[in-house]
Amino acid sequence: MTTVQAGRGPILAAARPSQGAPRWRPQPLLFASPAVLLVVGLLYAPFVWTAYLSFTSYDGLNPPQWTGLANYIGFFRDGILWVTVSNTLMWVAGTILLPVGLGLFVATVTYRSRWGTLLRLPFLIPYAVSGAGVAVVWGFVLQPHGALNEVLAFLHLPGGHASLLANRPVNTVVMIVASTWQQVGVNALLFLVGLQSIPEAPLEAARLDGADGWRLFRYITWPLLRPLTAVVVGLAIVASLKTFDVVWVLTQGGPGRSSETLAVTMYRDTFVANEYGTGSTVAVVLTVIAGIASVLYLRGQLSSRRTVEW
Amino acid sequence: MGRVVTRAIFAVLWLIWLAPVYLLVVNAFRSTDEYAHASIWSPPHHFGLWANFVAAYHSAGLGGSLYSTALYAVVAPAIAVVVGALAGYAIIALRLRHGFAWFVLVFGGSIFPIQMLVIPLFVGYAHLDLYDHRPGLILIYTAVSVPLAAFIMRNFFTGISYSIYEAAVMDGASSWRIFYRIYLPLATTACAAIFILEFTFIWNDLLFGLTLSQSDSVRPVMTALSSLLSLYAGTTYNIVLAAMLFLSLPTMALFLCTQRLFARGLSLGQIG
Repeated sequence: MTTVQAGRGPILAAARPSQGAPRWRPQPLLFASPAVLLVVGLLYAPFVWTAYLSFTSYDGLNPPQWTGLANYIGFFRDGILWVTVSNTLMWVAGTILLPVGLGLFVATVTYRSRWGTLLRLPFLIPYAVSGAGVAVVWGFVLQPHGALNEVLAFLHLPGGHASLLANRPVNTVVMIVASTWQQVGVNALLFLVGLQSIPEAPLEAARLDGADGWRLFRYITWPLLRPLTAVVVGLAIVASLKTFDVVWVLTQGGPGRSSETLAVTMYRDTFVANEYGTGSTVAVVLTVIAGIASVLYLRGQLSSRRTVEW
Repeated sequence: MGRVVTRAIFAVLWLIWLAPVYLLVVNAFRSTDEYAHASIWSPPHHFGLWANFVAAYHSAGLGGSLYSTALYAVVAPAIAVVVGALAGYAIIALRLRHGFAWFVLVFGGSIFPIQMLVIPLFVGYAHLDLYDHRPGLILIYTAVSVPLAAFIMRNFFTGISYSIYEAAVMDGASSWRIFYRIYLPLATTACAAIFILEFTFIWNDLLFGLTLSQSDSVRPVMTALSSLLSLYAGTTYNIVLAAMLFLSLPTMALFLCTQRLFARGLSLGQIG
């Protein structure tokens, strides 16, 4: 009835026989039940229900009508699919490129610097700001004739007199930059923890061999950071697929529907257009894409790790 | 040469990152009269921060919102910590049968995108009269906090020697008593970590607030803040910025004091 599992230590193995035959105890499950009930009732059940609703026509008032794959077919035929999916993919690519890349850069430059904390501070402050807060700050920076327009005009760069949130794909790019402003700090922090855990020996050996600067980073530090980079990139992918707060507060997906991401389309279909079935379909598509991305990414990481190992 | 270029690039980035912070602070401090004509880059001449915040407070009904959010962000993580600790205790100390499977079930709750939850929650809450009521929001914030709490508590309890549990049983203590007199007090640091991470998540949440509440007194602060921005026709931006600055203070203070914790919490895939 009771099996001694591996890794539970010798104490258990020694103690068990002295207790005699194990009794049936309802108590352990009783202790675990609040967690199980909360999670099943408020996370699993809605999840399953959303999956069901994605096959129905539902307005939130009348009972859902089973319509099979109609929502999915409709969604894939809809012109909005291309816009929202490509915007979402821009968010994913941009988030890997900018916040992760710059985070690594900031961590590498400030690591071991005497002024490290001070140098990192401007990057850390924005992370403590919520998505809505980021949208407020950048709404101010981006407003017509606002701070960014002034700077661009002053530097004679393009965009000085244009409204930066008015056209696709510039509006999505600009919002990715806004989100980068928030995200770099925490990635820098993660990479900093990684840098601090790198053993001194290989670095020292490489330095004695004459490596420094870029070469030291390229051939020693970067390979040693790989496992951590995998975690950071994986997190960035999953989080960026679900981009909602910044877009919703800044543009509500507009103008028109030009800056919608999948998460915004889902919210808009459901709570603005009152098409709960369609909204559920978008949520399912989003979840499936996130799932596939995670699996592909994990598989890629695992197979490439195998070739690096020695 | 390479080093000089690197430092120059870093210096430019540093300035770019600081610029929005600077603009936020100087314009949140600027009085509305001054905001109308002064350059947004100039430092403020009159201290208008408090007046701006009061204006935002009235136009978005921030009073009830602040109280509600403080309630959500304190009560929900507190319940989740205890619930998660109970689950971890059942699995590790009480040797719950198929404990690992139960653990996977509970922790697995953290992988669902919020988008997959809000429709049934909205409809269900409307039926159960939980929509736009504080207990409803506390309930969902607790539920989304439980997986991380169970994860951290289970890991923490694995590090407590089983002989402590056995000794307490020998002394005749009940399971419940061992939990709240021995295991929970030992885990104070783990509890604090969970609490801080979940407090921040709830304080910064927008989506649950948008979908499960609407009245000024129930909706969380970030939802109120975003409504302030769309009401912007009637409010000048210095007022919105002042509100945002105030509403960010609690999480900013927490984050800057406990940075490492956030890096660890994030690498569990929970926060963000």
